[in-house]
Amino acid sequence: MAKDMNNKVLSVDNLHVSFDTYAGEVQAVRGVTFDLHQGEVLAIVGESGCGKSVTAQTIMKLNPMPPARIPEGAVTLGDVDIVNASEKEMQKLRGKEVSMIFQDPMTCLNPTKRVGKQIVEAIVHHTHMNREDAKAEAIKCLSQVNIPNPEERAQQYPHEFSGGMRQRAMIAMALSCNPKVLIADEPTTALDVTIQAQIMDLLAEIKEQVNTAIILITHDLGVVASMADRVAVMYAGKIVETGTCEDIFYRNAHPYTQALLKSLPSVDADKKDRLVSIAGSPPDLLDPPKGCAFGARCTHCMHICREEQPPEFTIGEGHTASCWLLHPDCPSAEERGEKDV
Amino acid sequence: MSENKKEVLLSLEDICKYFKVSGGTLKAVDHVTFDIHKGETMGLVGESGCGKSTLGRVAMGIYSPTSGKLSYKGEVLNLSKGANRFRYAKKAQIIFQDPYASLDPRMTVSSIIEEGMVIHKMYDEKRRKERVYELLEMVGLNREHANRFPHEFSGGQRQRIGIARALAIEPEFIVCDEPISALDVSIQSQVINLLHDLQEKLGLTYLFIAHDLNIVKYISDRIAVMYLGNVVELASSDELYQNTLHPYSQALLSAVPIPDPSAEAQKQRIIISGDVPSPINTPKGCNFAGRCPRACDKCRESKPVLQEIVPGHFVACHLVEPEK
Repeated sequence: MAKDMNNKVLSVDNLHVSFDTYAGEVQAVRGVTFDLHQGEVLAIVGESGCGKSVTAQTIMKLNPMPPARIPEGAVTLGDVDIVNASEKEMQKLRGKEVSMIFQDPMTCLNPTKRVGKQIVEAIVHHTHMNREDAKAEAIKCLSQVNIPNPEERAQQYPHEFSGGMRQRAMIAMALSCNPKVLIADEPTTALDVTIQAQIMDLLAEIKEQVNTAIILITHDLGVVASMADRVAVMYAGKIVETGTCEDIFYRNAHPYTQALLKSLPSVDADKKDRLVSIAGSPPDLLDPPKGCAFGARCTHCMHICREEQPPEFTIGEGHTASCWLLHPDCPSAEERGEKDV
Repeated sequence: MSENKKEVLLSLEDICKYFKVSGGTLKAVDHVTFDIHKGETMGLVGESGCGKSTLGRVAMGIYSPTSGKLSYKGEVLNLSKGANRFRYAKKAQIIFQDPYASLDPRMTVSSIIEEGMVIHKMYDEKRRKERVYELLEMVGLNREHANRFPHEFSGGQRQRIGIARALAIEPEFIVCDEPISALDVSIQSQVINLLHDLQEKLGLTYLFIAHDLNIVKYISDRIAVMYLGNVVELASSDELYQNTLHPYSQALLSAVPIPDPSAEAQKQRIIISGDVPSPINTPKGCNFAGRCPRACDKCRESKPVLQEIVPGHFVACHLVEPEK
């Protein structure tokens, strides 16, 4: 693995993002902190509305401001302070230092331009290449993502591509200027399983080749298990648990992570066993709860959980979780009067 | 599960559904034959465009098949006649994929649920209102929700409203067309548990269409795998997972990522190249031949038919021979 834990490429520190709406302030991200190192795959998992996409978009500053605001926190990419960067500076970064693959490749490619031309555009914008060289480079990018007949394909429009091919073209475009960070926002959600397997294979291959750091945003824990080095589990705008892939799947400590994993039917699950489901639905971020956001749905909820937000507890090296159960003074399950669930 | 399991509820015989499109004929469902037994859950899996939703709609009577015979409890259904279609609709209902698009935004929850009962002239007005409350409680909502509008609910709650609507006219057979793929993981398991409980309580039969293979395996008694309009493999869910015979099913099952890092690391994934070809003017041989790693000349020449390899396990592939 070409993972270099000393070479930090991106750091997000206590990031808050709010949206001003007519109904009030929606606190989409409420204090997210993580680092990303060269050649690493960090997966951000969570349900819809937990703020995972907003976090990613803020790294590229793609959220229109207003209504979005960053009341607190810092994002540092290399040595650039993203929060205070101007739009002009951001335009230099986007595509060159950090680029993004979106969920739906059809709406992200320009339907009126040939695929090759769209890639050339990005290359010409960021390098001093002339159009001829850029064209050759674009074709090289397309062949790098295993698109057959890249010369011919570059002359086609997005509608002539199938879903999987479009996603490949998007990846080619995102990688055309060798970015340090690649953000993949649900890259396989819109695709069929056999195509998903192809795209995941491609991402793994590319990671080895170009050594970019990847932020993989997904809700599919299967995809996480097959690709990620580290995982951050998000709930209601906060990271509730973070650790290596093994930490999260085998040594998880936060009740939300545990419930999320249990709610998936395992391969050898019997039909008679009921799936463990999490009752209720996520909190409204217009008015986030005072205490732990997961408290209302948590089976271990204690008095303090409703009153105060849990701090981050360290469980092992690089493995942290925010839950009052991990506090050294926390009473044991019998003392809390819980039945074994 | 029960002793009447083998009683056939719905039988599809050589069903075809073609659509005329500008480029030729789109064979969405091509010669599909299988039975659905009373009280079971029949899973239907396949990639997008394989015809699984079309087949579900044919089974529901929304589409009338181009050719083939549909019979319900041994009685042939002639659904081209409006009156027959109406009578069948009382027995067969559907739950749709998208809980946002499938509920009329201008109707209250109670009128959405009540509508089917009004159409089928069930009960008087007072009893219908009571039924609405009963149904809401049955699917895990409150009676206070009856006078609200769909936009006031989350995705999971809307799906529950969709389920209550389907149950309102007391059907025997429900087509679940990807009922959970638009929902979050933690909500998915709530809806799956609900469907499972309702099946036990009301003795329902499900045709469960999905592309999430882990969920299908969990909920189904038997599973049919579809590829480009054909059923390529059909077996009980345990048999299908333990003894996968068709090359497409093998690739499909191996492509599913398992939420377990060490199992993922050990797994040999079969990656099939290329995309699902267009269902317009399909090749004359096996539909999967173009992507199949084991395709031979015979596969490109003639179409394999579904045959029983092991009792209860049907496969359509030239390379799989029945045991003698």
